[in-house]
Amino acid sequence: MAHDGIIYLDHAATSWPKPPEVLDAMARALGPAGGNPHRSAHRLALEAARLVLEARSTVAAFLGVRDPRDLLFVPGCTFGLNMVLKGLLAPGDRVVVSSVEHNAVARPLAALAASGVEVVQMPVDEAGRVDLDAAEELVAEAPTRAVVCQHASNVTGAIQPVADLADIAHEHGAVLVADGAQAAGHLKVDLAELGADAYVASGHKGLLGPQGIGVVYLSPGLEVRELVQGGSGGDSGALSMPVVRPDRYEAGTPPVPAIAGLAAGVAVLGREADELFEQEQRIARRLLEGLAAIPGMRVLGPVLGEERAPVVSVVHEEVEPDRLAYELDSRYGVAVRAGLHCAPAAHAAMGTAETGAVRFSVGRGVTEADVDAAVEAVREVCLA
Amino acid sequence: MMARFTVFGFETTHDALAAERALLEAAVPVVAVPTPKTLGALCGIAIRAPLADAERVERALVAAGIRWTRRVEIEDRAPHGLSR
Repeated sequence: MAHDGIIYLDHAATSWPKPPEVLDAMARALGPAGGNPHRSAHRLALEAARLVLEARSTVAAFLGVRDPRDLLFVPGCTFGLNMVLKGLLAPGDRVVVSSVEHNAVARPLAALAASGVEVVQMPVDEAGRVDLDAAEELVAEAPTRAVVCQHASNVTGAIQPVADLADIAHEHGAVLVADGAQAAGHLKVDLAELGADAYVASGHKGLLGPQGIGVVYLSPGLEVRELVQGGSGGDSGALSMPVVRPDRYEAGTPPVPAIAGLAAGVAVLGREADELFEQEQRIARRLLEGLAAIPGMRVLGPVLGEERAPVVSVVHEEVEPDRLAYELDSRYGVAVRAGLHCAPAAHAAMGTAETGAVRFSVGRGVTEADVDAAVEAVREVCLA
Repeated sequence: MMARFTVFGFETTHDALAAERALLEAAVPVVAVPTPKTLGALCGIAIRAPLADAERVERALVAAGIRWTRRVEIEDRAPHGLSR
């Protein structure tokens, strides 16, 4: 439903509005649990440390992580992906990556390529899904350190065959790194089953937390070089980071309010996920049907009936994306995102690198009436 | 009056606080305390229990799958109550 006069269809950018539980949890973390966790042992600091412990357990359980110590809090998904990729790959290594990655993957890999990492791209089909046969051939072609792939596209909504890619990677002695930014909190993610060796997710999108927090899962057998060194609260006499998790990867004071908000959002999801995921899928289908029926409109990615994350991007043959997004916001209060969505590679694969697209993305709180109103607004703008 | 306690040290605060949670759930009277110097360079939080409960603590930690690194006995005049 509309909130503050806004029909919010930009959940792929960030979820909004946040559940009230998230705001309450963040306020508690700034008040009675406002100490610095993992350092002092007075009551305020202990409350903060207990809060972080419970939060880690809550998020780990939701994502199917057996040992919460393998679930690391990081400042965001982009930071987490940089940490994993730069901590894992060294000059001379080879990495096989999908050709439709977000810049959070594409740019760190470009930087690594400049330092001597060989980066090989996997092709995708017309819907933006990785071609598994081609992927296997590429991984088998030469010793490969890692296969890297998004779980779901922020442009097309295509869901990638991450479990199959993990099998391919493992068969050839590589690890599988997945970018879960658009999947966590919108699709069922069970990391005990998925097979990813590293999985990175944003805290403020589907997981309903605040901005400034993300999570990295590292499988028990995988260690990467930590990206940041600093205080960890323990073994302070040593100049190197502790080898134990989570301390090794969480130097500095953790963002307790953001962690608290994330855990509160995930707790809401824990209660609602089954129903919510089904509802998001139903509403995304309705949105896709409505937009596709507008003359001159092209929908990117999987066609109706094929699985997708609740993201629908469109291009109209006459109305430019930036104009459509502006008109939707200024005249109808509909919030969407136009442009390349920080994913020029995905747009190149869809043939929209020059134009970009308008992306509508569904999340918690979006109703049928919202998408009906949005579709009607798009129709009015495009047929005017 | 002086009393004797056992103090458990852990590699990481996560384990120390997980120990506190597990022990309180098992109704073992423990408190989280700053790590005594005698435990060496561990994480900053340790778990203290009355010496008489030391074996109960060890059994409960083993049952919860939580590993402690070192354990020392201390004498202290501080009152001992539950952490929360």
